Amino acid sequence: MVEIERHDYDVIVIGAGGAGLRAAIETRMRGLRTAVVCKSLFGKAHTVMAEGGIAASMGNVNSSDDWQVHYRDTMRGGKFLNNWRMAELHAKEAPQRVWELETYGALFDRTGDGRISQRNFGGHEYPRLAHVGDRTGLELIRTLQQKIVSLQQDDHAEHGDYEARLRVFAECTVTELLLDSGRIAGAFGYWRENGRFIRLHAPTVVLATGGIGKSFKVTSNSWEYTGDGHALALRAGASLINMEFVQFHPTGMVYPPSVKGILVTESVRGDGGVLRDCEGRRFMFDYIPEVFKDSYADDEQEADRWYSDPHGNRRPPELLPRDEVARAINNEVKEGRGTPHGGVYLDVASRLSTEEITRRLPSMYHQFRELADVDITSEKMEVGPTCHYVMGGVEVDPDTAAARVPGLFAAGEVAGGMHGSNRLGGNSLSDLLVFGRRAGLGAEQYLRQLGADRPEASEPDVDAAARRALAPFDAGESPAAENAYTVHAELQQIMNDLVGIIRDGDEMRSALESLAELERRSRNLAVMEGNRQFNPGWHLALDMSNMLLVSECVAKAAVRRTESRGGHTRDDHPEMDPAWRRTVLACSWRDGAVEVTEQEQPPVRADLLELFELAELRKYFTEEELTGIPDGSTSVGRS
Amino acid sequence: MTATLSNNDSTTADLPSDAPPIPEGATMVTVKIERFNPEVDEDLHWESYRVPALPTDRVLNLLHYIKWYIDGTLTFRRSCAHGVCGSDAMRINGVNRLACKVLLKDMFAKSGETTITVEPIKGLPVNKDLLVDMEPFFEAYRAIKPYLVTSGNEPTRERTQSIAERERFDDTTKCILCAACTTSCPVYWSEGSYFGPAAIVNAHRFIFDSRDEATEERLDILNDQDGVWRCRTTFNCTDACPRGIQVTKAIQEVKRALMFRR
Repeated sequence: MVEIERHDYDVIVIGAGGAGLRAAIETRMRGLRTAVVCKSLFGKAHTVMAEGGIAASMGNVNSSDDWQVHYRDTMRGGKFLNNWRMAELHAKEAPQRVWELETYGALFDRTGDGRISQRNFGGHEYPRLAHVGDRTGLELIRTLQQKIVSLQQDDHAEHGDYEARLRVFAECTVTELLLDSGRIAGAFGYWRENGRFIRLHAPTVVLATGGIGKSFKVTSNSWEYTGDGHALALRAGASLINMEFVQFHPTGMVYPPSVKGILVTESVRGDGGVLRDCEGRRFMFDYIPEVFKDSYADDEQEADRWYSDPHGNRRPPELLPRDEVARAINNEVKEGRGTPHGGVYLDVASRLSTEEITRRLPSMYHQFRELADVDITSEKMEVGPTCHYVMGGVEVDPDTAAARVPGLFAAGEVAGGMHGSNRLGGNSLSDLLVFGRRAGLGAEQYLRQLGADRPEASEPDVDAAARRALAPFDAGESPAAENAYTVHAELQQIMNDLVGIIRDGDEMRSALESLAELERRSRNLAVMEGNRQFNPGWHLALDMSNMLLVSECVAKAAVRRTESRGGHTRDDHPEMDPAWRRTVLACSWRDGAVEVTEQEQPPVRADLLELFELAELRKYFTEEELTGIPDGSTSVGRS
Repeated sequence: MTATLSNNDSTTADLPSDAPPIPEGATMVTVKIERFNPEVDEDLHWESYRVPALPTDRVLNLLHYIKWYIDGTLTFRRSCAHGVCGSDAMRINGVNRLACKVLLKDMFAKSGETTITVEPIKGLPVNKDLLVDMEPFFEAYRAIKPYLVTSGNEPTRERTQSIAERERFDDTTKCILCAACTTSCPVYWSEGSYFGPAAIVNAHRFIFDSRDEATEERLDILNDQDGVWRCRTTFNCTDACPRGIQVTKAIQEVKRALMFRR
């Protein structure tokens, strides 16, 4: 084997989105030598696509808001499957993280008295989303990027080297985690530009690689979302939980075909936009589920009054959690009331003035004008569900973000538990900052306990990782050689059609057969042309094994969960079952196969349960779990 | 496949066997790409591909078609695919654009032709095909201290900023660092040491932020011989910006701040 470039660090952060950068800032500020490894250029991470805002109960617009209300909304949104401790930490710490981001320099839209403004969003009781027009994610990434540049300039002033304590390895892909007796010892990967291998040695790895959306055909996710972190964790011995829960955002573009799946921000509805069928009817009133009947208006008059008088009226049903809205749209289209291109109408033109639309939703205005030739100030948009987010991810300790594998941490979309069966809009950006920071702290704590006893990756492991990465070049000679682009297209079709927004046991079992067949074929994935110098065919061949592994987890867990809840809807098991709420499905990797096991959900701490009225808890919990909970509760506000 | 000049006039019959059926309403267009593979090529050279295209397709869709079905080695950056991440700036029919935001029908309307030329953005070293080395661009960005500088204790909550103060620099916060402006600037092409429009836009973003306290320092940096005075006001940058930022205006505002500072 030729000499492989080697670097030694305290912490390796994989992924440079919001969670990864926040983790890296934390470890660098605590004096740890930190490497950030990312597949794209620095500053291009998927987080830039977040539009609506970042949820935090600062109470700047409605002073009734506090962390308890945010906690309740989050648990309801996730249908109480959330890890209660993560939801608690998130609700409590999100305001601090937003204010901190502001002191880093982030731009925010402001209230009349100069504080951070907050907007309404689906599932949030009060205006809670801090935002910058509809480009909040871009500003979040840019601010963290700027903070890192400033830390590097500090290091230059102090050590004469910008990268003395924090280096970004951009356009670099990690293919394997390196272990030493089951503990993290480093990561192995390659530079995309020249294909040369790189080995990073460190006792801690923070996974912050985002989601899995590129396994689905219609998705709002970017090209990097190939489930890398999920697969790396699984192969290293960690477990993935809640993988059956995939969020389909209700409003993606449906036309023209070249832009199908691109996101239309929920802010359109938060700011007054409504959904209509092909005859102009506001159909969402037909889809308010029993558990939400108390807090959503059942007629247009009340719904419209809510925008100006949120205390005296119930919310419009267009602002139900995303899973509910996505299913409703799906059903409208299925029953023949959709638009010519198979979506429904999203109408903001008849609701807001041209000036308000272009000021509050500038990106949407431009996106539709440029990509679809639609002027949203005078015409309705056509929208439909698009694969947007995976609630499932690495099983972590809520306080430290530590995975089961010593030295491994995970934060953001790649971690599971926080959002339960369905994530509320705006809770993702806050999740990134709250748990990105906590993962950094967790890594520091682990390193301190480790002392001088640092794991070391073995040479045979490094050589084996190199051989596996080069396998697609050898497969090119074989008559069974497979083209990665073809296999990818087939995978996306299978996941979209058979493990998509509405599921069925038989369909998913047939999907699993197809996935097994694809997995067999993928062993012959070959680089058809070119060699290691920036070769996208090779890169995709390596990413495919991650996508296939993660897709298998999604399908296997989805077959097992015989109920409907949040981002998992089954035609053959349409009801939500309180018994299933107590069960978390965990995927692990044993002898080359994905194994799904049932785990008991940790019981919710009593004082947190008491934030809800017993009548509401009865909709989600078994009677056995509710014994001893006082009736008539401390709950404030409606619902 | 090694890089060789392909036949310019292949027909639909030459379409790859595993390509999807041509959709209704599609026409065949020629995509002429300036390519370079450092492992085999001495120089940049043109190659042409015949590709089926819908009027609603974007140039990015055509590049994907080529990569997926004709030549898997075609290299370019792309990520979000709808104009937010700023990865796919390239020179399309001679002007800097994001490939994910150029619709085919708009190109037909202008030229009446069905040939589209695609080149890497100019002024940065080409690594491979449409992929350039962005490091000199980011170096200029970092040089203007692109972060908020304040003194004293951090507030417990947020710093206040009025709606008008925040509006003052709204335009330059839209930048996605795609380099379309900088690599459309004739001064940048001839004098690579010039900071370029994008770095100045990002300096503007902090100079006019009411919370920032390093205005003087940044103005000093931009007063340098490679700074704002190199700008010849050709407006290429403003035309190139996919975010609609008034780039030249921002540069002029920085010049004015320099002239009128105490």
